[in-house]
Amino acid sequence: MKTLLLSLFVAFFGLASPVRAEPVVVVNAASSIGPLSQDEIINIFLGRYRRLPTGDAAQPIDQPESSALRAEFYRKLVNKDVNEINAYWSRLIFSGRTSPPLQAASVAEVTVQLLARPGAIAYVERAQVDKRLRIIMEFPR
Amino acid sequence: MTARPDLPPVSWWSSGLLLRSTLAVVLASLLAAAVAVGYTAYATSVRAHHASQTRLNELLDTIQSTLSVACFANDQTLAVEVAQGVLSNSDVLAVRIATTQAVLADKQRGGAPSAQPAGLLKRLIYSPFDRQKEVGHILLTPDPQVIEARIREEVWFAAIQLSWQLGMVTFAMVVITLMFVVRPIKAMSDRLHRMDPTTGERLATPKRHASTEIGQLVTDINALSDRLTSALEVERHLRQQGEIDEKRYHTIFDNAESGLFLIDRQGSLMSWNPSFAQLFDIDRQPPGKALAPLNINQLPWQNPTLMDRLMHSALTQNTAVTQELQILMPGAERSWAHMVLRSVGNNLLQGVVHDVSHLKESEASARQQAITDPLTGLANRLGLEQRLHMLVQAYAGATTRGFALLLINLDEFRRVNEGIGLPAGDTILQTTTRRLSACVSSQDTLARLAADNFGIILNNVTQGEAVERIAGRILQAIRQPYFADGSPINLHASIGVALFPGDGFDVPSLLRQAELAMESAKSSGGDQHVFFNPVLTEAAEQRRHMESDLRSAIRNHEFVLFYQPVVDLVNQRLAGAEALIRWRHPTRGLVMPDSFIPLAEKTGLVIEMSLLMLDVACRQLLDWKNRGLDYVLSLNVSGRQIPDGLTPAKLQEVVQHYGISPTRLALEITEGVMLRDVDKSLQWLKAVHDLGFRVYLDDFGTGYSSLSYLKLFPVDTLKVDKSFVQDMCDDNNENTLVGAIIAMGRSLGLDIVAEGVELKSHLVALQRMGCHYAQGYYFSRPVPAEEFDAAASRITALLAAPDTGA
Repeated sequence: MKTLLLSLFVAFFGLASPVRAEPVVVVNAASSIGPLSQDEIINIFLGRYRRLPTGDAAQPIDQPESSALRAEFYRKLVNKDVNEINAYWSRLIFSGRTSPPLQAASVAEVTVQLLARPGAIAYVERAQVDKRLRIIMEFPR
Repeated sequence: MTARPDLPPVSWWSSGLLLRSTLAVVLASLLAAAVAVGYTAYATSVRAHHASQTRLNELLDTIQSTLSVACFANDQTLAVEVAQGVLSNSDVLAVRIATTQAVLADKQRGGAPSAQPAGLLKRLIYSPFDRQKEVGHILLTPDPQVIEARIREEVWFAAIQLSWQLGMVTFAMVVITLMFVVRPIKAMSDRLHRMDPTTGERLATPKRHASTEIGQLVTDINALSDRLTSALEVERHLRQQGEIDEKRYHTIFDNAESGLFLIDRQGSLMSWNPSFAQLFDIDRQPPGKALAPLNINQLPWQNPTLMDRLMHSALTQNTAVTQELQILMPGAERSWAHMVLRSVGNNLLQGVVHDVSHLKESEASARQQAITDPLTGLANRLGLEQRLHMLVQAYAGATTRGFALLLINLDEFRRVNEGIGLPAGDTILQTTTRRLSACVSSQDTLARLAADNFGIILNNVTQGEAVERIAGRILQAIRQPYFADGSPINLHASIGVALFPGDGFDVPSLLRQAELAMESAKSSGGDQHVFFNPVLTEAAEQRRHMESDLRSAIRNHEFVLFYQPVVDLVNQRLAGAEALIRWRHPTRGLVMPDSFIPLAEKTGLVIEMSLLMLDVACRQLLDWKNRGLDYVLSLNVSGRQIPDGLTPAKLQEVVQHYGISPTRLALEITEGVMLRDVDKSLQWLKAVHDLGFRVYLDDFGTGYSSLSYLKLFPVDTLKVDKSFVQDMCDDNNENTLVGAIIAMGRSLGLDIVAEGVELKSHLVALQRMGCHYAQGYYFSRPVPAEEFDAAASRITALLAAPDTGA
């Protein structure tokens, strides 16, 4: 029953949302990181390469785990849902060679971390992009 | 039928059938198994490889997502982990995982790297987020040993399974063969061994085999038994029939009257029948082994070489040969055997022998009879001839000096015999035999050739004087009076003599010579003997010539009639003529009847001649009749023509043919003719007389001139013999005699014709005695027909002349 209620809630919430989330990949506006392709974004966020084409180490930051944006992001990026992404990472975590993106505790923290860490790359709701941030990749509409 | 012990025992375990079928099944099974196992190995190999591939692919499918993650993330740890997992699969020998940049893991089992075995399995790894993007690959090396082991295992399993199945099939096969084939056959075989089909025993159809081939076989065997049994039955019947036949033949053999025997080519007797044994006084049964074999040559043949020769010719000629053999059996009647020998093949001869002693005896007696005269017991003509032949041969052998042959004939015996009857005649002949026997010696031969013909051979008599003496004795003996019927009869004999070797040198001519001599004696009056001399032969020869001349004369019409006029003295005119036969011989000229009539009578030719002359005479009468002349023609009739040579019917036929009155034809006969057979002659005379023919009695006065006969016979005219007429003189005896005849004739109402009137005085005397008719040279000689008219004129003139003085 609880699950049902939650589902209903989520559904209601989702439906009730007037606009679907529209994630864009951003970096610190001051960062030298230039625009990146979607493949480069995939490699970075899914642990294939942690280095930017510039050679700098890249630090991907994830939205909170339950955020809709996160789901929307991965759905758009690799067309996977959150569970699949989690499963993916669960296999890699086992070897310990690669780690998943840094998990922000909240949306705000994403911005904090983004600004605080060099080479950080994150994704935010388009509407949240401000002058401190610079979009380096947008999903085609 | 009992089981034959020499048959091999039939037992199912050693049955060739079972063993063979089992072997065949096993062999076929092994072959099938080999093929099946081979195929199984092949199929299993293919399947195992395929299964291995499938499993590995499935394995790869299983690890694919993890691998794509590892390769995507270049996570060597994860790759190694996966490789370890893969290697845990027994099929995998080695695994190698590589990204596009580097090898993440390269692991293999046992550490012994194999040199690139075939069947490597490679699969490309794509990014988990982009199915198009290749991020690495995995290379699997399957382990062939594992696959082979699996194949071996499967093949082994298949082999085991097949062996089991084949074993079961073989067992089933053996059991079925044993149950359904071998045992029924064995049972049938055992039954057949004990079975006796002749008693009707038959094979029973084994259970559940009524419609199988075994059942069919049983049916066939039973049918065969039936046929064999019936064939045996037929054979037994035939054998019985054969035994019966043999018994029958045996009966014939045993009871045959003829002696039957079988000999080999050496003449040893192999078998014979009781008749044979009886014929030769030998054991009845053929000799057993203990007895010595009997040879046909040991039988008591008079001439054993004949028997040898007969056997030889029977063996070589291959046909039946016969021979009459004389047997020497002391004290036994049988003396002759008739033997038939025939080769019957295998160098055996079959013989038939009859006792022909009786036949021989009767043959001998018949031969004796053939040469014996039954009346007198003397030799007959044949016997005499045999004896003559014997003596002729004996002369050649110088055992005789020669002999004389006498033929004796009783003169006038025939007439005497007719007079006194045959039994008396026989008595005379028997008496004659006794008398003749008394005249000859024991070494001479006496024979009776025919009725009163006897023959005597005087052996070793060659001298005429000796013969003369004996012949005289014989004549003397015959002259003695015979007494038959109580009255004495006087006979005499004629004897002809021929001498050997003086006269003839062979039997027929000797007989002929003696006969000629005898005939000569007889014709000279009889009661005498005549020695043969060549003149007799010549005379006989002449007669023979004459006879053939006569025959040709008849054929050539050399006989003619001459006519001697007969004058009617009372009416002084020509009354007719006597027809006289003449022979116009081509070389001898005119031949008078005296020279040929006796021979013609003897040979019977006279009958044919007389018929011809009858024809001629009738033609002459017809001629006269046509010319108005009423002459009577008289024709001489010989004794040989009465009664059958010139039958009354024939006479009538001829005169009717010419249209002549029978009264114009007179038939002249002599007394002797009538006396030959009085009854028949009388009958004939009466017949012709009744037909109207006139009958003249010729030569009257020379014979018996029996007055009773004159009364008895229907005679119209007497012809006085010319001897009386010519001897007539005035006042003498003859004169008176002729006168008496004439007177007697007239008193009997008979006409008289005087013959031989030659002189005027004869005529005068006859006229004076009242004779009615006359003929003679005084009037005319016999003349041919063409001169008759001239003679008639002359006679008329003679009669008319007033001075007919002598």
